[in-house]
Amino acid sequence: MLAALQRVTDAALAYLSEDELLTELLLRITEILHTDTAAFLLLDEEGKELRARAAKGIEEEVEQGVTIPVGKGFAGRVVASRRPIFIPNIDHFDIYNPILRQKGIRSLLGVPLLVEGRALGVLHVGTLTPRNFTDDDRDLLQLVGDRAALAIEHAQLFGRERAARAAAENATRRLEALQRVTDATLSYLPPEELLTELLERIRGILHADTAAILMIEETGHTLRARAAKGIEEEVEQGVTIPVGKGFAGRIAAERRAISIEDVDHADVLNPILREKGIRSMLGVPLLVEGRVLGVLHIGSLTPRIFTAEDRDLLQHAADRAALAIEHAELSERRRLAEALQRRLLPQRISGLPGIEVASRYMPAGESLGGDWYDAFPLAPGKIVIAVGDVVGHGLGAAATMAQLRTALRAYAIDGHSPSDVVGRVNRLMWQLGPASMTTLAYLVIDPVAETVELVTAGHPPPLVINPDGSAEYLPLSGGIALGASDVARFPSQVHPLPVGATVVLYTDGLVESRGVSIDHGLERLRVVAEGAADPEALCDAATEELVPEAPEDDIAMIAARLRSVDDRLAGTWPAEKDVLADVRLMLRRWLHAHGATEDETYDIVVACQEACANAVEHAYGPGLRSFDVQAVADGPHVTLTIRDHGRWRPPRGTNRGRGLPLMRALMEHVEVTHTDEGTLVVLERTLLREAA
Amino acid sequence: MSWLARIVEERHGDVQVAAVAGEIDSSNVGEIAGRVHAMLTNRSEVLVVDLAQTTYIDSAGINMLFSLGGELEQRQQGLHLVVDPASPIARMLTITGLDATVATHPTRAQALAAVS
Repeated sequence: MLAALQRVTDAALAYLSEDELLTELLLRITEILHTDTAAFLLLDEEGKELRARAAKGIEEEVEQGVTIPVGKGFAGRVVASRRPIFIPNIDHFDIYNPILRQKGIRSLLGVPLLVEGRALGVLHVGTLTPRNFTDDDRDLLQLVGDRAALAIEHAQLFGRERAARAAAENATRRLEALQRVTDATLSYLPPEELLTELLERIRGILHADTAAILMIEETGHTLRARAAKGIEEEVEQGVTIPVGKGFAGRIAAERRAISIEDVDHADVLNPILREKGIRSMLGVPLLVEGRVLGVLHIGSLTPRIFTAEDRDLLQHAADRAALAIEHAELSERRRLAEALQRRLLPQRISGLPGIEVASRYMPAGESLGGDWYDAFPLAPGKIVIAVGDVVGHGLGAAATMAQLRTALRAYAIDGHSPSDVVGRVNRLMWQLGPASMTTLAYLVIDPVAETVELVTAGHPPPLVINPDGSAEYLPLSGGIALGASDVARFPSQVHPLPVGATVVLYTDGLVESRGVSIDHGLERLRVVAEGAADPEALCDAATEELVPEAPEDDIAMIAARLRSVDDRLAGTWPAEKDVLADVRLMLRRWLHAHGATEDETYDIVVACQEACANAVEHAYGPGLRSFDVQAVADGPHVTLTIRDHGRWRPPRGTNRGRGLPLMRALMEHVEVTHTDEGTLVVLERTLLREAA
Repeated sequence: MSWLARIVEERHGDVQVAAVAGEIDSSNVGEIAGRVHAMLTNRSEVLVVDLAQTTYIDSAGINMLFSLGGELEQRQQGLHLVVDPASPIARMLTITGLDATVATHPTRAQALAAVS
């Protein structure tokens, strides 16, 4: 008996796992008590049923997963009464478990498994021949039961603890994984790379075979695959899904997670998903501030039931991804807007001689606008500045704006009058349709005559800041918005623009804001403009005083000031043919201001140009690519000095070498000096003007 | 064509007319010469270059017209210019002697009447 006791309380048993321990205990008890069968049955979590956990001799009991209600049959009563029960002959007893009878068991002895008064289950032994179990048999079985109960309790505690730890570790791992979705370094990736990287990470976290992001298109009616992992074809083929239809379409429309256990039996529109053999899917909406940006979905090539935890995790990842996408798109749009602004900036600021220009373009929020401005030279010596506002936003408005801008330049350079230029643009806009409604202010500056010729088309009036600082609006020329009627006329009006005066064109976003009358906005702009020192300062002041931090409408403005003419004209130009026209314009204005007649101006300009053209032609060698022009008036006596850094070569070819004779014919005195440093040309002529 | 000048081409029977509006200088003279050359065919006997709308010309343009005149003469074709006699352009033609080698007319109508 002692030896038997030792065998069931053996310390070595402590090192066995729960299953191994139970099996070993059953083996030892059948040997000690010489029984044919032995079995452990454990209570379920709710304490209502017993389930066979380990058995010897009646292994079927475990295999078949026999359950016995507490209080019923033999084992049910043992656990309910928490006392040992001995049945000498089961024929006279209401045995619940049919296997016992089937196996031919005759006698049974059972004990409860108790820990601190709590019943965990039942241990029972049985014999195929009738037997009278003794009190010693009973006590020994109870001892084994107690030992087993302790081990089971321990194992269950340990199991729960391990499950809890595993859950905690899992949660930590998922949290870390989630963190990777929002890793700060991701924000430095370009949008497409960002999406791909996000999908790779999400796929890893959720152990999915595929992952894809579909974004809602600008129209709002369709989703288009933007990035995918495992089903890259979806992006390559440009799959689009109507919002509200199919798997992704429903997620976007209903703004909720949807999972599909079996793709074959679901409403899935995208053929690629079936072709790739995807079995189960889970998708969630990409939401930012209640707006649906798109859909994120994952897929599995083997049937999978996505859990609530999977869904929450994917939604969490999607929330963060949506923010990252939104951020990237905003940056991208800002970049686009900036690129657009760069395109809109006058290409040749240096090619607008005689005026100083400053401009601003402020997009409203995130969408591309239809506001634009332009400035370009117009032969001979005139300058166009224009501002327009295409109705609407987005790529459509931007595209119309680009067409309009090109057309305007083309018609202007083709030599049409301001009135005709705007009239032609109007007919073009009319043909493009009602979406192309545009307002426009078109202004041709004549720096020599010191005038502007203005055409407005449904646009707010230009503002002129006089040299004395006072500011006033020019009257509108009476044209209606472009694209509204193909027979509309656009008369022009000429206004003085004295030297030192500034003219400002702008779009209505600058003077209009919700709840404030346009008159109020116009007056504010006028007052702000009165204090401004120059075009740049004016644009700064207008932006600061009139533009809210987040403008409701986009704003374009351009300011041009007619430079004053000095007694002494001096400038350095790059030795390129393209600058010759600029030099002519500068010199014409200077000569005009000094009282030269039209013929005198022409002659002196040609003479100067001949010297400049030579300088351009002979400017060879690095670092020598510029020339200086200086003009000085001493009473009616005008002296021009043109200095270059090259050496004049003898003229080649038949029809060359007319430059110097021309200079001599047109000027009273011509002096050409060649030195090692370059060539100096001095031209002199006395103007026949009336005494000033 | 740069913004300095534009060319309007017309055809009156065998007479080609190139009207140059704007300014001719060394930056665009090559382009203008190219356009005018492209108008020449073996069938055309006369080329009229209309400078009535030309607001600036210097030796670059004058040289081009000299070359064009010489070339047409070799092809047994004629070059005629339209120049307002009161304009600075006419003065440039006189100073350089171009009007001594090339026929000039005060208006396009007169040029066309003279060549047909």
